[in-house]
Amino acid sequence: MADLSQTAPTATGALGRGSDIKRQRRIRRAIWYALILAIVIWCAMVPVRDGNLSIYFAFMLGATMATGLNFVAGFTGYMPFGYVAFYGLGSYVTGIAVKLLGIPVYLAVPMGGCAGILLALAFAPTLRLSGIYFAIVSLSLAIILQRSIALMPEEITGGSLGMNIGVLTDRIQGYYAMLVVLVMALLTASWLAESRLGRSLKAIREDAEAADAMGVNVVRSRLYAWLVSAFFASLVGGVQAWFTGAFDTFTAFDVLVTAKAIIYAMAGGLGTVIGPVVGTVVLVWADELVWRAFPELNSFLLGLVIALLILFAPRGIIGTLIRRYPRLRNYFM
Amino acid sequence: MSSILLYNALIGGLVFGAIYALIGASLNVMMGVLRVVNFAHGEFVLIGSFLAYSVFSLTGLNPLAALPVVAIAMFFGGVAAYYLLIPRLRYSDDAETSSFLLMFGVSLMLVSSITWIYGADIRPVNFSFDPVNIALLTVEDAYGKGRDGKVLVPTARLVALVINLAIIAAMTWFIYRTLPGKALRGAIMNRDAIQVVGIDIDRLSANAFGLAAALAGVTGVILTLVIPSVDPNGGAPLTLFAFIVIVLGGLGHPIGALLAGMLFGMVEQFSNVLLPQSAAQMVGFVMLVAVVMFKPEGLFGRKVMR
Amino acid sequence: MSWTSDPILVVDGLVKRFGGNVAVNQATLEVGRGTIVGLIGINGAGKSTLMNCIAGMYRADEGRVEFDGQNLIGLTPHEIAAAGIGRTFQVPRTFERLTLIDNLMIPMLNRPESEDELIALAEAGLAEVNLHDLKMNNGEELSGGQQKLLELARVMMLEPKLILLDEPFAGVNPTLCTLITDKILQMKEAGISFLLVSHDLTSIYRLSDHIYVLNQGEVICEGGVDDIRDDPKVVEAYLGG
Repeated sequence: MADLSQTAPTATGALGRGSDIKRQRRIRRAIWYALILAIVIWCAMVPVRDGNLSIYFAFMLGATMATGLNFVAGFTGYMPFGYVAFYGLGSYVTGIAVKLLGIPVYLAVPMGGCAGILLALAFAPTLRLSGIYFAIVSLSLAIILQRSIALMPEEITGGSLGMNIGVLTDRIQGYYAMLVVLVMALLTASWLAESRLGRSLKAIREDAEAADAMGVNVVRSRLYAWLVSAFFASLVGGVQAWFTGAFDTFTAFDVLVTAKAIIYAMAGGLGTVIGPVVGTVVLVWADELVWRAFPELNSFLLGLVIALLILFAPRGIIGTLIRRYPRLRNYFM
Repeated sequence: MSSILLYNALIGGLVFGAIYALIGASLNVMMGVLRVVNFAHGEFVLIGSFLAYSVFSLTGLNPLAALPVVAIAMFFGGVAAYYLLIPRLRYSDDAETSSFLLMFGVSLMLVSSITWIYGADIRPVNFSFDPVNIALLTVEDAYGKGRDGKVLVPTARLVALVINLAIIAAMTWFIYRTLPGKALRGAIMNRDAIQVVGIDIDRLSANAFGLAAALAGVTGVILTLVIPSVDPNGGAPLTLFAFIVIVLGGLGHPIGALLAGMLFGMVEQFSNVLLPQSAAQMVGFVMLVAVVMFKPEGLFGRKVMR
Repeated sequence: MSWTSDPILVVDGLVKRFGGNVAVNQATLEVGRGTIVGLIGINGAGKSTLMNCIAGMYRADEGRVEFDGQNLIGLTPHEIAAAGIGRTFQVPRTFERLTLIDNLMIPMLNRPESEDELIALAEAGLAEVNLHDLKMNNGEELSGGQQKLLELARVMMLEPKLILLDEPFAGVNPTLCTLITDKILQMKEAGISFLLVSHDLTSIYRLSDHIYVLNQGEVICEGGVDDIRDDPKVVEAYLGG
């Protein structure tokens, strides 16, 4: 390749380009919005056609948590192993607001979301930790929060019996609230991926120092992602309380909630918008099949799936597909 | 508050501290040599406990009889697990976090397998020493004037403590005085440099993984003397304690973990006596967060390793 | 004293220690506006450390760094980038799982232009280094030499006044080397200044207007290409150790 510089077009000559990129962006968006629409129609019909509410609720919950976790794990590279802290807090704030303060549940859930943002701000100093330190501290903070709630007076948090708000809330409403939160999360994800913030985050994930040198404000971008991520987990916690009507410190802070969010997101592909949804569909469906056939093997298989994913497809279904067929990048967000 | 409770906490602190020290040290060998964050470490310990339970319930022998079997089985199991799981991790984007998640998956599989084999119930290990308790000292007027109290310690716990300390001493000797031990320390300090001086890092890593697994299993056997029951779900808290210990002692430093384990045992036992239950369960994690945020090299600094 | 009447970058008495080691010791140098300044020295002489101090990745322990009259000490890397200093890395640090277009978009995220205008600029930037055909590929799919080119295109997107080039020719084949040299000269024509770190003396001698020699963290001598080429101290630093 002799003197390549002569063949290079000038900047002015290139200004008319970009139409192919725009076209690909339109295709990607169309596929994505079609997927959201399909999910909405499908899930909205479940109560009407007497489908299995619990499974579809589990799917919507999982997809929202995986998408929320993806904001911080997929877009910035942090692995918040105590992600459940925000979820648990959302449940408790919602429960307390409904039961003790008499606030309608549809206002209580957003209150829980805001509480999640406040907690995320309080935990923000941990963002300067890296890798495994961040994961361990995040997990520890979740445990500390769980024990702190257990320490609170029984009149407020219900003590070891937990809280029961089932008489005050409607299960079907809770189901649809979950759908609303899921759609919010999915739209936020696609907006974020195409926004400048989203690009900064991906650059940070790839190489924080290089991003910094290219003018990206690393600390601020990470903080935004962290807050958005926490907000959705807390909303989900609140809606979960709305749907099931009962929770205690063990179910609200179960480490499996975090684990499933991570696994669903990883199975589909961290860092892609569509990945967490795909991962959740596949794994909730597989889980359901397996659970029906071999109930006692449930957690063994969850563990096996995790191990196999990490060893053989660490980039998940979408990530692996894109790596093998790079053209698919044009079709998936 | 009776001073007897405080004496009990002190002895409990030693007994549990030695256990935590050993769990932390073995976890730190994996962490230091292999950069593997073993989230299944509590379950590795649990395997030892359940094997001891099997030996005891089948033969009626002292669970300690299982020690050599467990050590050898776990060593080879560990080496096999290493070759099966760890080398592939090098291809992932973030090997440390991947190892963390991988071993979390392994821990789910292990708990589920143990439950499948032994059932979900907590099983007692009713082996009793003769005498059951040993009175270490007498406290005058412990329960009011003229009513003296005795500080009683279960013989099993004392035996566990002695064996535990012996293993710790042996391990320290191994790491500082033998050639393989020195290679291990070298690998912890600088994994790249040690390959240059002609050490097969893969074999060393596999052996280190096996050694750590064996130590974890042995700790599990000893644990059945301290807490005479086995619980398929008992692994997760042990893993968390192990993480507290290695963070306090400095990530990757087996000797730091020994000191931190004793410290954590003491803190835990005294908080159990002095604080409400939920608060006591929190103390360790608060320490962990504080150390990571303010003194990430661990409480004892880097000198401990040298 | 000063070799240039119009310095864009002034480094004065810069010290950087790591524990007990002094990596950079009282380094003083200047980059004239629109010039290429070479910084040479053997491995471990402190070139990269000095570079990182200027870019804000390390915080200098002592000394002054002034860029266009603005004090840089205490600024974060992204603030320094915003001030107009771009840099490349010794080992290319591509954003591996971003497309080449997105790689070039990153330095432009703070700009007011619309998305479409930025895309057009990024495409033009890729065309400049002959990577346009790969625009939708991921960074990880490039060869080492192509990554060097990508870094050069990426740093241009910052519209910097000064570029810190860390070993731009390391591990690059001769053809590519020529291309990179041409690009650098082109940018210099456009008024951009350079601080060029390399231990490849041939290209340094060809490009530089002025050269500083670093040894054990200290600037041991400076001068034009001809002065440096024959300076016994340089020969000693490179050969005598």
